[in-house]
Amino acid sequence: MKFGIFYEISVPRPWDPGVEKRVFDNCLEQVALADELGFDSVWAVEHHFLEEYSHCSAPDLFLTACAMRTKRMRVGHGIVVCVPEFNHPIKIAERTATLDILSGGRLEVGTGRSATWNELGGFRANPDETKRTWDEFVRCLPKMWTQERFGYQGRSWSMPVRTILPKPLQKPHPPMWVAVTSPGTEIDAAERGLGSLGLTFGSVREQEVKIQNYRKIIANCEPVGEIVNNQISTVNFLFCHEDTEKGNKIGRRMLGSFNFLAAQLLAAREAYPTKSYPSLGLLPTLRKEASGPADQSGVPEGIAIGDPERVLRACKRWESVGVDRINFLLNALETVPQEEVLNSLRTFARHVMPHFQDGSAQAAAAGGGR
Amino acid sequence: MPLSGTMDVAAFAATAKLAEIHGFKTGEWTLKGAQILNVYYEADNDLAREMMPVTVRPVIPAYVMFNVTHYPESPVGPFTIADVRLGCRAGVRPRGFTLASYVDSEAAARELAHRWGFPARVGKVYLRAFHDRVAGRVTTAEGKLALEVEMLDRDFISGGDIQYVSSMHLCRNREDGKLTMAQCDPEWTFSKAERGRPNLISFDSASWNAGDKVRPNWPISASYAIADVTLAKIRYVSDPHQDAFRGTTQVAA
Repeated sequence: MKFGIFYEISVPRPWDPGVEKRVFDNCLEQVALADELGFDSVWAVEHHFLEEYSHCSAPDLFLTACAMRTKRMRVGHGIVVCVPEFNHPIKIAERTATLDILSGGRLEVGTGRSATWNELGGFRANPDETKRTWDEFVRCLPKMWTQERFGYQGRSWSMPVRTILPKPLQKPHPPMWVAVTSPGTEIDAAERGLGSLGLTFGSVREQEVKIQNYRKIIANCEPVGEIVNNQISTVNFLFCHEDTEKGNKIGRRMLGSFNFLAAQLLAAREAYPTKSYPSLGLLPTLRKEASGPADQSGVPEGIAIGDPERVLRACKRWESVGVDRINFLLNALETVPQEEVLNSLRTFARHVMPHFQDGSAQAAAAGGGR
Repeated sequence: MPLSGTMDVAAFAATAKLAEIHGFKTGEWTLKGAQILNVYYEADNDLAREMMPVTVRPVIPAYVMFNVTHYPESPVGPFTIADVRLGCRAGVRPRGFTLASYVDSEAAARELAHRWGFPARVGKVYLRAFHDRVAGRVTTAEGKLALEVEMLDRDFISGGDIQYVSSMHLCRNREDGKLTMAQCDPEWTFSKAERGRPNLISFDSASWNAGDKVRPNWPISASYAIADVTLAKIRYVSDPHQDAFRGTTQVAA
């Protein structure tokens, strides 16, 4: 099991001058500490127009800053939107290769297609087409990274033969992932030999079925790249505090803030009838999180909030169903004061990480276990 | 913090023709073969928020739903109804807050108001499906054009692709005289579904209890469906002065 941190970069109103800088600075301070403590990776979303929920519209720049402040952590796009109205594929290949070089070969490339009308409508992208354009992009990217010269005539985009520069430092190329929100996307990931980057908060049982499916299918995949990335990553919240009551209370406040923020987004499916988006994105799982079964702490099953013992139990539960990595959201709307976020990271590294094979090695290497 | 509706509920109730709901004990109606035209437009966010009670939270971007439905049969005979709703959230659940409804049958308007709290009034409501478009039009009892909307370039999709949302009706409960938000949770069984290009020809916000506050500014989508609709009994009501997360009561299983 490996542990990472995951950023939406949520900025609360009022948006007085400097508030965004303060939030970005807090995030970068957390990243630097997480690197010291032995966390494996930092991920950043690409979102546009999502007021308060996410101000992370230029993740490559944020991740570059992360790479400059860290020594070991991998830096991950979670995800790059593979829709031409958002990002031209040549620019994706160029920017990711540059980030891989600048980070010393520490890049992970998550791919996806956006799930909100806020974003799809804002860029005037056609929701019916996004699955197809994503598929084209993920097949082209490895070739653009590895072939000296590349030309392409496709459905959503084409280019004459050119040399796309620079090339990534990692050989043959950085590991690739797919954001898994809609049901069935884990199958798309497995068929293409891509890692499954879970971005919803479904129950452990629901995820277990998806994981079993994924493992079966990826065993016989036709990889789109030169490597198969057989890994399952899931996203979770983290607030770990030695005082049980405080851990639960602050963590639940963060969870509630995130749910309300996410609920304000307009899911593509809600606004635009299409086969392309078979679910309401985060909304159905948020519903469960808001009203679903919880243990005596009041925190839903599988959520890494509470004292170290509870957080350990939650992480072990995910490990037991075959998850390889957990990426943690550390804050929402800055509801958790920065000092508490940093303490939560330290507490997790000291009391929870050592109970995991990779986590233990990470923490020991970084002195987090002391 | 997440935004909430900022409507002055008392002021709205004083001017809008709200329904008087006769308790929450209505039985369900199953209405066969309904023809449903739904057109969605984005709208001005700040103004739309002023048209929502604090019970609900706005969606970003704000969107307005224009709905025209013809029911060929019902316990009170055939009728056609048009609603204008604002997309919102009750807690984290997607909902539409109904600003006003027009119905072309006095009996249907009365029953819908008393049973489910529809803010219904009588008007001329027109819905027709042509080979190239589906057209809806609403004229008030005073003869004013309140809405003219259409779906162009009809194209078949599956009923499963359509995601209708439940509606919330601000009404007065006859039993205690208090304002309440009744949640109407219809069920739809689709026999045909289409999607097309939305075209809003005319919209008079004031005719829908909204002064000049609802300003559609960008088309999203249009759909047309034929479905059996069950207007189920009311299960949840909310206090219009509180967030739905705190102020919602279950009144039936």
